[in-house]
Amino acid sequence: MNLGISATEFTSQVSDGAISVEEFVAKTLDRIEKVDGNIRAFITVDSQNALGKARVIDKKIKSKEKIGICFGMPISIKDNICTAGLKTTCASKMLESFVAPYDATVISKLKSEDAIIIGKVNLDEFAMGSTTEFSHFGPTRNPWNIEYVPGGSSGGSGASVAALECLAALGSDTGGSVRSPASFCSVVGLKPTYGLISRYGLVSYANSIEQVGPMAKTVEDVAFLLNIISGHDAHDNTTAKNTRIDYVKDLKSGISGKKIGIISQMTGDGVDKEVECATNGAISKLQDLGAQCVPVSIDAVEHSVAAYYTIAAAEASSNLSRYDNLRYGFDFGIEGYEFKAFISKARSNFGPEVIRRMLLGAFVLSAGYYGKYYLKAQKVRTMIKAQLDEAFKNVDYLISPTMPILPFKIGEKIDDPLKLYLTDINTVTANLSGIPAISIPFAMSRSGLPIGIQLFANSFKEKELLQAAHALQETTKLPGIAI
Amino acid sequence: MTKIGLEIHCQLTKLASKLFCSCKAEYRNTKPNSNICPVCAGLPGSLPMLNKKAVEKAAMISLALGCKIPEKIGFFRKNYFYPDLPKNFQITQYNAYGPTSIGSDGKIEIEGKTIRIRRIQLEEDPGRLVYEGTSEKTMITLVDYNRAGTPLVEIVTEPDFETPKQVRVFLNVLADLVENIGVSDPYLEGAMRVDGNISEGDGNRVEIKNVGSFRDIEKALHFEITRQQSLVERGIQVLAETRHWDEARRITVSSRSKEEEQDYRYLPEADIPIVQIGNNSIEQIKTQMPESIVARRERYIKKYGMPAQVADVLSSDKFYSDLFDKSHNEKNAKEVSNIITTDLMGVADTREKKIELKITPKHLSDLADAIMANTLTRNSGKLALHEMIRSGKSLADVMSSLDLGHVSDASSIEKVIDEVFQEEEKAVAEAKQNQDTINYLVGKVMRKTKGKADPATTLDILRKKLAV
Amino acid sequence: MVEKKEIEHLADLVKVNLSEPEKYIKQVEQILNYFDRLDKVEFQSDETLGIQITTEDLRDDVHIPYEDSLIEHLKKDQNNFIRAPKMV
Repeated sequence: MNLGISATEFTSQVSDGAISVEEFVAKTLDRIEKVDGNIRAFITVDSQNALGKARVIDKKIKSKEKIGICFGMPISIKDNICTAGLKTTCASKMLESFVAPYDATVISKLKSEDAIIIGKVNLDEFAMGSTTEFSHFGPTRNPWNIEYVPGGSSGGSGASVAALECLAALGSDTGGSVRSPASFCSVVGLKPTYGLISRYGLVSYANSIEQVGPMAKTVEDVAFLLNIISGHDAHDNTTAKNTRIDYVKDLKSGISGKKIGIISQMTGDGVDKEVECATNGAISKLQDLGAQCVPVSIDAVEHSVAAYYTIAAAEASSNLSRYDNLRYGFDFGIEGYEFKAFISKARSNFGPEVIRRMLLGAFVLSAGYYGKYYLKAQKVRTMIKAQLDEAFKNVDYLISPTMPILPFKIGEKIDDPLKLYLTDINTVTANLSGIPAISIPFAMSRSGLPIGIQLFANSFKEKELLQAAHALQETTKLPGIAI
Repeated sequence: MTKIGLEIHCQLTKLASKLFCSCKAEYRNTKPNSNICPVCAGLPGSLPMLNKKAVEKAAMISLALGCKIPEKIGFFRKNYFYPDLPKNFQITQYNAYGPTSIGSDGKIEIEGKTIRIRRIQLEEDPGRLVYEGTSEKTMITLVDYNRAGTPLVEIVTEPDFETPKQVRVFLNVLADLVENIGVSDPYLEGAMRVDGNISEGDGNRVEIKNVGSFRDIEKALHFEITRQQSLVERGIQVLAETRHWDEARRITVSSRSKEEEQDYRYLPEADIPIVQIGNNSIEQIKTQMPESIVARRERYIKKYGMPAQVADVLSSDKFYSDLFDKSHNEKNAKEVSNIITTDLMGVADTREKKIELKITPKHLSDLADAIMANTLTRNSGKLALHEMIRSGKSLADVMSSLDLGHVSDASSIEKVIDEVFQEEEKAVAEAKQNQDTINYLVGKVMRKTKGKADPATTLDILRKKLAV
Repeated sequence: MVEKKEIEHLADLVKVNLSEPEKYIKQVEQILNYFDRLDKVEFQSDETLGIQITTEDLRDDVHIPYEDSLIEHLKKDQNNFIRAPKMV
């Protein structure tokens, strides 16, 4: 039995009776047991439940009962997405024992299609970070080289897919948190249009720009998952209506005759040589497939990182206010404390990156500074979207490397927050403007580290975006992780 | 000159659900924390879902107070830490970056004076705190989130009041208005809360908070005016501060925990998209608006020829004007309004008594018809009304059980008169000269018939018999 | 320049105790300096992005009791109150 198969290959093998769900899940659990001590992708592994569910599904298959289209596919979930009865820690001391009494909408949808939640995976605390180093439970390591960061903040999701500890994963993308680990771990990761997927049950970090995103080995798997988890939700006023589209159908339509814009602000200075080389390689492959590639300038990108961190910090400082350790949280008696002293003591258990962003957020929102920072950052969003709309009048897609640099070593940038923030330059544009973007594994560096290519399309054009991504992935032949 | 401004918080108690979730809007008489869900308890991952009707009702209040409603409304987070706020921010509205609250810039006439309304905003009520323990060491705060998320409308006036009496009149009008619109029961405990701000001449502004009932605001304002004026007389400057109303001592006290200028770090609530209200929806809301008190009064005067005073009294009481509108028909309207304003309103003048009334629109209509058809005298009508209020029985039942039928046939009345003539020989003799004595004899007849004899017929026959 | 007093004020606003305020001063200052570039951008439009809906998209006013007893999942006392420290 091969754990390296894709999620869609798994569903057809199970429905054909070629493999049993229980066997596959058991083997996946063995794999986690064997490799996760090194990778450290998982915060919680739900072995008993996973095996129990697998048996039930096998029985249903045998008795030819109706079964969900996931056929017991083991999926890992970023630990900031609520799962009823299973801890949702956000990789924070503040929620280390928090069990949500309800499922996020994306989780209910997966469960109703018979997906198996195999466990909850690591992230930067409350998704604030791009390396998965800022976790209360310690860093996750890159499966391609465990001395390196897996990207982040959905590092646990990316690493668990790459290390064959699950068939697919859900992450969340606020400023690149799905695409960064997708790129660094050599998997596919999609940041959908804002409003395509319900955020109900996703623990908010910067709620005006973040989305849940699927991660898997292939574009087809990502399209398959998107079919399940997208759509309007009565629990989320920001979800768009009439968005149910079959993303798998016509996936192989190709990109002949399409026009692709190369974003000059994301491909020039500051891009690693090997990354640049891979990007050029991708462009010429796309041209070979009949697409026309032209340079495009989106100069508002220059302001994107400042705008992104202003908005993210502002929203984070408000979103994280609720963690005061009164209604839920860790054990710590109130006796003898005065209110302010109590919550300040409790909240000092946030990690340094979270505290940093809350301080920044308080600053940019405080009286007198709102107009100087927050309002300006909002206007940058409008400006970026206007420039993208202008660009999409002439091109169907935009392209850039997902990350301007190769994966780096754990601890290398941890003490220089601004330097780390600047590595998000290619990803935050999609969040600020709301448009979809996908990272596709394209090459390996000489040192054996993954390089991902990012494609963008205009809002709610996921179907077209996935077609292009599929075409690009078809041109690659990349190594798998050694089992 | 005294300048007083008000901030009124009015719960939309008549809604079925809270502002952002499907928990019950009416939280009273529920066990602690039994009316909560992930949204109103602020659990991680929950999202607010704005109540359509709350927006419509807040728009109605805005329209009734002459406010402008913007094309688009938005919500903001007001960030501060307090245990009654499950998210440690309150979702409210804020106009500092352009008008996005449901209403702004309105005005209302109160006894010939114009009170300007600065803004009206929709927001969530916090939970309730109970303080427990006596000593420093044992003191703790207990929190009940049943109220958290109850829809609240905040109405902020300009400092246009000059006297506490004007404030009281305004609040009465406002209470009638929200009740009339059917959004709130202002007499429920905590449903309507008032904070005031007050300044003398060019002096500093003092905020008055914690006024439990809106009856107390008049007292608090009176106290505060006297305090400020005596400071001014003695040449002492009034401090700009927040003072709390101490209900027990009936004075205002400077807030002990001197809240430093709070920095609320307002930010747009992105979980609630901008809501386009648009002219169409405003027009639609207008058609759903109940008749205003003023319009109702006009209708009563024009259509039924009610005296202005009766129309005033009736139109400003939602309960009784609704009862009137359900009871009357074209013919008996005036009589129904008489019964309500002269008899019924005196019997049941409080909320509790109104609820206990067993009277139905049919009772009132039948009663008015009977009086108009002369089958019941006014006096008997009163007795019948009281009995119907008490028992809820039909008019026919009440009339027969109390023996209230009207006697108008001449022969029965004549029989009674004969009896009276035998008993009252002296009076009969006198009556031939003195009109007052005739009335005395009428009274006797009425007593013997328990008020059932028709007074006109009785007088007729008496006159005939006395030959006057 | 960000000063210690300012960092402590910010820490007070978000209710955290800073064990090493100096460490944060330098980082916060550096990042704020970077944010300052926003102030120099020239904008053509004052519009802000964001989803818009109509009143028709809003939730209907219906009471649906939560299917679970939520308080059982929270920290509570024997009377189902949430306990908080004293306020003074």
